[in-house]
Amino acid sequence: MSPVPRKRLLPSGMFPLALLLTSVMAMALCAYWARAAQPETLPPPVVPQSNYLTPVEAKFSRDGMRLYVVCEDDDSVLAVDVRTQRVVARAKVGHKPKDVAVSPDGKTLYVSNEWSDTVSELDAATFAVRRTLATGWGPLGLTTDQTGKVLYVANSIGNDISLLDLSRGVEIKRLASWRSPHYLQLSRDGRRVYAANLLPHLGSPDESPVSELTVIDTQKQRVTERILIPGVLELRHIAEAPSQRGAYLLVPFMRPKNLNPLIQVAQGWIVTHGMAVVWPATNAHEAARHSKVAQVLLDDADYYYAGANGAAFTPDGRYALVTHSEADIVSVIDTNKLERRLRQVPTADLPNRLDSAREFVVQRLPTRSNPAAVAISPDGQSAYVVNRLDDSLTAVDIPGFNVRTRIDLGGPKVTSQLRQGERLFHDARFCFQGQFACFSCHPDNHFDGVAWNLETPQLGRDRVMNRTLRGVAETAPYKWNGHNPDLETQCGPRIAKFLFHSEGFNAKQLADLVAFIKSIPLPPNRHLAAGGQLTAAQERGREVFFRKACDTCHTPATHYTAQISSDVGTAAKYDTSGLFDIPQLDRTYEKPPYLHNGQALSLEEIWTIYNPGDKHGVTSDMTKEQLNDLVEFLKTL
Amino acid sequence: MKGTQWKRWLLGAVAWFAFLPPLAAQNAPLYTRWENYTTANGMPDDKVLGVAVDGDRVWAGTENGLVLIEKGRIAKVFQPADGLAHRVVTGIAVDPKTGDVWISTFGGLSLYSGGQFHNYTNLTSGLANDIVYAVAIQDEYVWAATTAGISRFNTRTGEWSIFSEKNAPLHEPWSYGIAVAEKKVYVAVWGGGVLEYDIAGGFWKPYNDPDGEMELVLFRNQGLLHDIVSGVAYNRDTKMFWASTYFGLSGYDGRNWHNYLSTDSGLASDFINATQSRGDEVWACTDKGLSNLSFKTNTWVTYRPGPGNGRGEIVITGPDKKVTKLDTPTSLAHNYILNLAFQGQDIWVATATGLSHGIRESHKEGKLDEHARTGR
Repeated sequence: MSPVPRKRLLPSGMFPLALLLTSVMAMALCAYWARAAQPETLPPPVVPQSNYLTPVEAKFSRDGMRLYVVCEDDDSVLAVDVRTQRVVARAKVGHKPKDVAVSPDGKTLYVSNEWSDTVSELDAATFAVRRTLATGWGPLGLTTDQTGKVLYVANSIGNDISLLDLSRGVEIKRLASWRSPHYLQLSRDGRRVYAANLLPHLGSPDESPVSELTVIDTQKQRVTERILIPGVLELRHIAEAPSQRGAYLLVPFMRPKNLNPLIQVAQGWIVTHGMAVVWPATNAHEAARHSKVAQVLLDDADYYYAGANGAAFTPDGRYALVTHSEADIVSVIDTNKLERRLRQVPTADLPNRLDSAREFVVQRLPTRSNPAAVAISPDGQSAYVVNRLDDSLTAVDIPGFNVRTRIDLGGPKVTSQLRQGERLFHDARFCFQGQFACFSCHPDNHFDGVAWNLETPQLGRDRVMNRTLRGVAETAPYKWNGHNPDLETQCGPRIAKFLFHSEGFNAKQLADLVAFIKSIPLPPNRHLAAGGQLTAAQERGREVFFRKACDTCHTPATHYTAQISSDVGTAAKYDTSGLFDIPQLDRTYEKPPYLHNGQALSLEEIWTIYNPGDKHGVTSDMTKEQLNDLVEFLKTL
Repeated sequence: MKGTQWKRWLLGAVAWFAFLPPLAAQNAPLYTRWENYTTANGMPDDKVLGVAVDGDRVWAGTENGLVLIEKGRIAKVFQPADGLAHRVVTGIAVDPKTGDVWISTFGGLSLYSGGQFHNYTNLTSGLANDIVYAVAIQDEYVWAATTAGISRFNTRTGEWSIFSEKNAPLHEPWSYGIAVAEKKVYVAVWGGGVLEYDIAGGFWKPYNDPDGEMELVLFRNQGLLHDIVSGVAYNRDTKMFWASTYFGLSGYDGRNWHNYLSTDSGLASDFINATQSRGDEVWACTDKGLSNLSFKTNTWVTYRPGPGNGRGEIVITGPDKKVTKLDTPTSLAHNYILNLAFQGQDIWVATATGLSHGIRESHKEGKLDEHARTGR
C-alpha cells in the first residue's frame, strides 16, 4: 500500500509564521481572559493610614549630631543620626504630635500632642518619656524660653498660648493669640516669642484677610504686639535672621485674591505664595509705633510655588530656605539679593510683584512629596527637608545646594489609596500654573477662614465661605448651593473647570482623592466632657435646641444636617438665591465665621443680627440666657 | 571724720523718732501734692469715670475715650475709631497674669491686648447688655456688671454666663461694681445690695439692708446701710469687703458690720460713688471730696479743693471728732469723686473734671501731722 499523501495545510515555509501568529493570538487571548477575570485596575494595597509615619517637623540636637523628627500619623518622635543617616531612637508620644522643642541644655525634648492636648517630655539621651504635661486645646508649636524654665505652647483650637512652668509641670498662664496659632519661634536674643497664626482675624467677608504674628515679651510674659499682615493667611513657620543681618523674620504665607472671581485663575495671580519680612519693634517705645512689615512673593511670573511653609536661615544668614509643601520644591533665597530687592522696590508695591523671586531665589530644589519643614544643621553644612507624605528626609548640601540623598525614615514601602489621595490633595500641579492645591484652601484638612468668589464671573456676587473637610463623608450634598450630590462631582470636573482651570484628575486619581477626603476624621470635641455628660448650661441649651425644632433642619442622625437646601433669610445683597445647603454642625465651634458667606462672626450673631424675620428658627422670643445656653450646646456637637 | 558721720547718723535717728509718734498715731497717709490731668493738658474729656494702674502705666476711662498715661504724660487716647467699643469708658481691669486690659463701656466690653482691640457686645457675644459699669478679672474669668445683670466670660472656653433675677438673688439687675476676693466675687447692685458669689460652690449669697427702709437707718451695724450700692471693694489684707452706697459706707469683716455716716464721722458725704481699700485704708469717693478712713484708729482724712483759690484742703477728723484743717498748694481736680486706684504709695483719682494724681511727700507729711497734732 502506498501511503496516502497528506494534504498540506500550509505551503512549505509558512509554518514558523503560523506558529508565531498562533502564539501571539494565544497570548492575546490569555491576556484578554486575564483582564476579564480581574477588575479594570488592581486594587490598591490596603495600608492603614496610621501605619505611615507622616513626619511633620524636625529640630536639631544642640550638638548637631541628631535630628529629632516628629511623626504625626505614628504618634512618635524619631532621632536620626545625621552621620549614618539612620533612625537610631524612637519614642511613642501622644496623639497627633506636631512639633518638638529642645531644651537649652539639649537634655530634654518636648513634643506637642495635638489631639491629646498634652506635651510629652522626653529624656533626649534615653528617649524615655518622663512626664506628660497638660496644655490648652490643640497644642502645635512650642519652644522653651532661654532659661529652659518656661515652655510656650501654641494651642491651635484654644486660640491661645500656654506658658508651662517646667519645674512644677503646670500651666502658669495663657495668652490670647488670634487665631489658630501654629508655630512658635524664640528670638535669638531670648527676649521674645513669636507666634504665627494660621487663620486670619475674623472680619467682614467684603474685606481682604488680615493675619497676625503675635509677639510675647519673655520677661514680662505678656503679649506686647500683634503684628498685622494684611492680605495674607496661613502663616506657618518663622525663621529669624542672625543679628548681624538685622534679626528680621521670614514668615511664609499664602496671599489669596479671594474677593476676585476664581474664574480669573486662568489669568493667573489669584493665589500667590510668599513670605512676610518682619522687622520687629525691639522695645516698648518702638512697639507703640509697630513693627515694620514687607511682603515678597516667591512665585515666578508664569508658575507658582504653592504651600510656602517651612523656613530656615543658614547660620550666617547668607541664605534662607523655604519649603513649598504643595509644589514639592524648596526655594533657596540669596538674602543679599532679597535685602537689595526690599530696598529697591517700594514696600507698598512688593506684595503684588511677581518679578521679585527671580531677583533673589537662586535655586528651586526638588523634594519628595509634601515638604513640610526644613532644618539646617548648626555647622551650616546641610539642610534636611521633611517630606511629610514620603516618610523621608531630603538631605541637601550647603552651600552648593545640591540634593544629596533621600533618608528613609522607615514607613511602608507601598502607597495606599489613601496616601495617594492625600498626595493628590496636596499637589498643586493639577492647577493652572500650579497656583494652588486642595490643601491650600483647606489647610490641615479644615478651611482657610475666608469667603471666596467661586463660580460667578461677576465681581463680588455669590461669595461663599470656605467649608471644612473634616468629617464630611456623610454630609452630601456639597457646596453651599447643594448642587454637588457627591464628592466625586465636587472634586472632579467641577474642580477642574471652575477652580483648577486644568484637566483635573483622572478617574483613578479622583477615586483616590475622594477616598482620602472621606477618611478625614473629626477632631476630638473639647467642649464635651470625657464621659459625654452635658453641663447644666449645655443641657439647657439642648432643651432649647429641640424645643425650637432646630433638629428639623439640623437632624442629629445625619451630623445635624437634613442634607437639603433651605432659605432661612440669610441671603445677602449680592446673593443670587437664598437657598443654601444646611450645614452640618459637627465641631461647629472650630468654624467661625458662620453662615454661607461668613457674615456672622460668632454663633450669637447668627440669631442676634442675621435672623430678623425669624426664618432661621423662631428665635426673637429667646432670652439672652437661652441663647447663651443654645450656643453652649452647639459647641458640644 | 568718722566721729562727725556718726553724730550725723545719730541726729537723723533722733529726728526720725521724733516724728514717728504722730505719724503712727494718725496711721494714715497724707497726700500733699496733686498733679491733674484735664482737657487743658490732653485729656479727651473732663469727666473721668474709672481708673486702673498696671505697674507704671495708668489707664483712665473718660466720657470720651480711654487714656493711657505713662511716665507722667498722656501717651495715648483711644477712641472708637481706634477700635474701642464705645467712647464712654466706665471701668478698666488689668489681668494680672496676662497684662491684657479689659474695658467696660456704654457699648460693650473691650479687650485691649498687644496693641489691638477686640470687642464683645450684646449682639456679637453672650454679654448680657452693652451698658457695662464695671469689669473685673477672676483667674480666667472676666466679670462684667451690666444693666441687665452680671455677665461672666470664660476666656478659655468662650462660655458666657449671665446672672440675673432668674438665677441669682438680684432684686434689680442693674449692677454697678465688682470686686474679686480669694474665694468670692462681690457685686454691687443698684437697689439690690451686695451679692457674694462663692467661686468653688457656684452659689450666691445676698447682703441687704436689714431695715429695708430707703430713707432711714434703723439698725446701725446690723447689716448693709442701704440697698442702693454703687460700688464694692475687697481688702486682701483685712479680708473685709466695703460697699459704697448713696446713703453711707458699709464694711463687713465676716462677722460684724462697720457702717459710717457723714453725720457722726469724718466721711465727707453719704453720697458715695465708689470705694477702695487696702491695708488699714478705706477710701470713699463722695460727691463732696475724697475721704480716707484709718480703720484701726478711726481717723478720717478728707481731700477736696479749697474754696476758690486753687489750693487744696485736707480735713482730718480724729476719733474724738476733733477736726483739723490743713492747706496744700495743689488740689484735687474736683470734689466730685468717681473712683480711685493705688500705685504704690501714690493714688490716682477719677473726678468730674479730670484725673488727679495724689503724691505723698514724706517731708511735708511729718510737718502737717505735727501741725494737726499741735495745732501750730
